[in-house]
Formats: sequence, structure tokens, C-alpha cells
Amino acid sequence: MFGQLRMIITLIIIMGIAGAGMYVFKLRADNATLKANQFKLETAITEQNKVLEQQKADFEAILESNKKLNILIQTFKKDLDDLDKRFTKKNRDVGKLAIDRTKAVEKVINKGAKNAARCLELASGAEHTEEELKATKKSEINPECPALANPSYVPY
Amino acid sequence: MYHISKILAIALIVFLTGCSIGGEKKIKIFSIEKPRENLDYPMPTALELEQIKWIIITSENAEEVFAKLEAAGIDPVLFGLTDKDFQILAKNFAQIRQKLQETTNLLEEYKKYYETDENSN
Repeated sequence: MFGQLRMIITLIIIMGIAGAGMYVFKLRADNATLKANQFKLETAITEQNKVLEQQKADFEAILESNKKLNILIQTFKKDLDDLDKRFTKKNRDVGKLAIDRTKAVEKVINKGAKNAARCLELASGAEHTEEELKATKKSEINPECPALANPSYVPY
Repeated sequence: MYHISKILAIALIVFLTGCSIGGEKKIKIFSIEKPRENLDYPMPTALELEQIKWIIITSENAEEVFAKLEAAGIDPVLFGLTDKDFQILAKNFAQIRQKLQETTNLLEEYKKYYETDENSN
């Protein structure tokens, strides 16, 4: 009777120790899983931050690009208005002027045509000449497209 | 006899589970993100325009102009525009140039946005 009781107690103790050991193993495994999860979460957060930063940079690039294009379109309007003014300034009549001062007007028109052709070349991507880039005065700049002929030219 | 059956039992267990010791190797599937190739067209060649000469012809200088043309060996014929049409032509050319410039700029902006290192990844 006593022997059986001892066996049962021994068994309970052994099972208790085994259970405790298994519990420790389970805790270790849980800990490892949690560590791995933590690492994955941290990596995910870093990646998300990178994506957000990229999105921010993209958004800024789009805004900058839009701004540039808007400025360009404003410049176009101004150039067209300037061209119109050149023909109609102070009730100017180009036809009459051409009759009165044929040679002078012919010279002006040929110079204007040459400038306009150069503007077309520049608009299609031609390289600027040194002279064009150095132009800072009204007399030096191509009046048909000042902003295109020298992007750093400040009209006055 | 007892030992033989013990050995046989162990051998049977080893025989049945032998293939699972070490196990099958797990297949690993990698996915590598490859960025799309850049189109990388060179920018269109810039225009190189030939120069034209405008001649102003009035009722007064018409004879002189045609005489000069004939003297220079050029056919005495001119394609004319009125002063108003000349203005329209000038404005039309300005608009064509602006459209060209706008398109070139757009192309450059697209190229810059989609083909820079930070955006191509």
C-alpha cells in the first residue's frame, strides 16, 4: 500500500517536473515567436516610413513640375501679348509704316523673322549660344522669346 | 528469442520512419522585384531652320522690286500677304513655337519624374 502511494507520488513529481519543463520550452518558443514578430513589425514600420517619404518626395516633385509648367504658360501669354503690342502699340499701322518706310520695315521684319526662327530652334531643344546666355540687356536679348532665349533674363 | 523480437521491432521502426529522418527539403520560392526598363529614347534632334527673306512690296516700289529680282536671276514672282495676314502669320508661328516648347518641357518633366534613380526603383 505504502509502496503504491510512493509510486504515485513519484509519478506525480516526475509529471510535474516534465510539465514544468514543457511549459518552459513553450515559453521559450513563445518568446522566440514574439521576438520574430517584433522584428517583422519594426521592418514593416521602416518600410512604411520609406514609402511615405517617397510619396512625399513624389508629391513635392509633382507640385514643383506643375509650378514650372504654370510659369511657362504665363510666359507664353506674356510673349503673345508683347507680340500683339508690337504690331498695335500707339495705334501703329504696320501697313502704313511699310509704305512710308519700306526699307526700314523690311529690315525690322527680316530681323524679327530670324529671331522667331531661332526661337523655334530653341523650343525644339537647340543648345543656347554663349551670346544668348550672356544677354542681360533689351538690346541683346531675342525679343521674340526672351524667357526661352535666356531663362535667367530679368525683363525690365 | 525475446532479444530477436526486440531487434526486429527496432529495425521495423527504423525501416518505417527512416525516410522521414532528416525529412524532405523545403522548397523556397524567392520573388525578386525587377524594376521596369527605362524607355530611354534620346531627345528629338533640335530644328535647324533655313532663313527666309521677306520682301515688302508696295504700289510704289513694285517695279523696282521685280526688276531687282530679274537682275538677280530670280523668277519675278512673289507670294504675298497683307499686313493683317502677316500679323496673323507671326502670331500663328509664336503659338506653334509655344506648343513645341510646352511639349518639349512636358517630355523633359516626364523623363525627370519617371527615370530618375529614386523613382525608377
